[in-house]
Amino acid sequence: MSDADLIRSARFRQERETGWKRLSELVNRVERKGAPSLSFDEAQELATLYRQAMTSLSLAREISLDRGLLAFLESLCARAYLAVYAPQDSLRGLVWKLLSRSIPQTVRRTGLPILIAFMTMFLGALAGYLLFFEDATWYNTFMPPDMAGGRGLGSSREDLLSVIYGGDGIGTSGFAAFAAYLFSHNTQISIFIFSLGVLLCVPSFVLTFYNGLLLGAFVALHVDRGIGYDIAAWLSIHGVTEIGAIIIACAGGFRLGLSVLFPGQLTRADSLRLHGRDAVKLAILAAIMLVVAAILEGFFRQSVQDAEVRLVIGWGAGALWLAYFLLAGRERGERS
Amino acid sequence: MSARRRRPKIKDPVKRHTLTPPEGVPLTFEVASIGARFAAQLLDILFTLLFVISFLGLLLLSNLMSGDMFMIIAVLMFFGLRVPYYVITELMWNGQTLGKRLVKLRVVSSDGKGLSAYSVTVRNMMKEAEVFMPGLYLLASSAMDGWTKLIVVVWVFILLIVPIRSKRNQRLGDIIAGTYVVEIPKPVLLPDLAVRGTAAPKDRFTFQPNQLDHYGRYELQTLETLLQVKTGQLDAGGRMRHDDTVRKVAATIARRIDFAEAIARGREDEFLRAFYRAQRGYLENRKLFGDAREDKFHHQDNDR
Repeated sequence: MSDADLIRSARFRQERETGWKRLSELVNRVERKGAPSLSFDEAQELATLYRQAMTSLSLAREISLDRGLLAFLESLCARAYLAVYAPQDSLRGLVWKLLSRSIPQTVRRTGLPILIAFMTMFLGALAGYLLFFEDATWYNTFMPPDMAGGRGLGSSREDLLSVIYGGDGIGTSGFAAFAAYLFSHNTQISIFIFSLGVLLCVPSFVLTFYNGLLLGAFVALHVDRGIGYDIAAWLSIHGVTEIGAIIIACAGGFRLGLSVLFPGQLTRADSLRLHGRDAVKLAILAAIMLVVAAILEGFFRQSVQDAEVRLVIGWGAGALWLAYFLLAGRERGERS
Repeated sequence: MSARRRRPKIKDPVKRHTLTPPEGVPLTFEVASIGARFAAQLLDILFTLLFVISFLGLLLLSNLMSGDMFMIIAVLMFFGLRVPYYVITELMWNGQTLGKRLVKLRVVSSDGKGLSAYSVTVRNMMKEAEVFMPGLYLLASSAMDGWTKLIVVVWVFILLIVPIRSKRNQRLGDIIAGTYVVEIPKPVLLPDLAVRGTAAPKDRFTFQPNQLDHYGRYELQTLETLLQVKTGQLDAGGRMRHDDTVRKVAATIARRIDFAEAIARGREDEFLRAFYRAQRGYLENRKLFGDAREDKFHHQDNDR
């Protein structure tokens, strides 16, 4: 049958149909096996055919009333679009970029929320500490019974010391302590503090403050028994990193909450979207710090028995973090 | 007469959203329903749990590890099936987890650019607060006191309200990440009805322009749907009903356009195909001249 005999849209379709079918084939393959399964030529073909199909679709919407064709082109283009605009970074490249540049830059950018988070924690600790000396029974009010590992108001100086310098007192290997720790209270708390920050900062503030209270009361108990130096060393070895992680998580939560509270010129949703980027990076950083803290705790806390060495490791790690935040990922022309 | 009748309002039952890729040709996606997304989530939880449990069971049976080592692996795996599983699968498969693959859903970015690693991470990190935590609390609800229960209920309520109220069924994580979930369209290329089979090289029915003035795009495409039915796949009863419909439609059209000849029994299908071709050619021509006719009420548009 001759071409001239056909109506315009049918001719239009006949001329392009092979290209569409080929595109459909390529897209199917990408969907099933991923883009790397294409050869160089095929990848190039995919891009070209995709653009042609988009043009066809735009034309067909104007000239054709063939619903079968329109529906086919719509869905073909949609699938091809998803295949062509797939994320192109490799997983490794992403991780490297995140660690080497994005995270330290984010930390420098979010100084204010971090400061607020730090102050919250600090004030909490101060309050806990002072309250303990006012009335020691506050300790029991704050502390959930399963958290302190049996160390309460009834514990004597010797009991407390034996935990601090107890070696493998709990009878676990480094690995098990590491794992047990990683999923303990603090991980849960960090996740909570971060994700609830979106509710106008309030839950993040309360939780961080409460954790400060716990810390303050706990330290006060030991100071009261005259072993303040030892507990400081014992806490420092992993605590510097770990409390840092909680503060960072809290800062992430605040970043979310602040963007909702004070959106500036943007709408609240836009503001949340914009600042969410920083918040998420802070959350990832908090997770990394928690893992490091877990390693420090699992392998060093009980095996290193000397208070001075403990202090050096703990604050050394803290100094390394600080150097990382302040120095890494500087690009030329960046003002801090 | 039907000309007095008003055009009925047709409401689209499916939420759709248009996204403009860098090429500038808008694409319309069907937003995934909340039910479908719930199913995908459930499947994911089921799969990951089954995998982890069976893996750990095998490990336990094979007796390769010490108790400590086993505990660590167990803890790590139970951690991995939460956020990391979703982030990694959605990065690897461009916005699909196993569950989404089965239900045929996909995450897309609402700005029309590709899905970024950041969006994937965010939308799944929020899952912790939106799916896992409330889920775990609901499972443990019998052990909670009244106030905690109330808080959890309010929490879950808010979480459910957000996607239902959202134009694109976005949950909180989607809103923050700037993503939404769509159904993957199925491209099926149906044969072009305007192309005649080789068996019938010439239409035996011919139509005058005034006979083609009655209908618009909507009627034409409805007729197309009827003609695209694959009669070979129908059973005897379905075949009969289909033939009956074809006969009725042919009779209605013939009456409406004042078709002079009588249509012989058994040739209704041929008549409809011929009419479809003529009508489509005519309407497409009108459209080219700036006279797009939406449906049979198009005369009313000109009056105004």
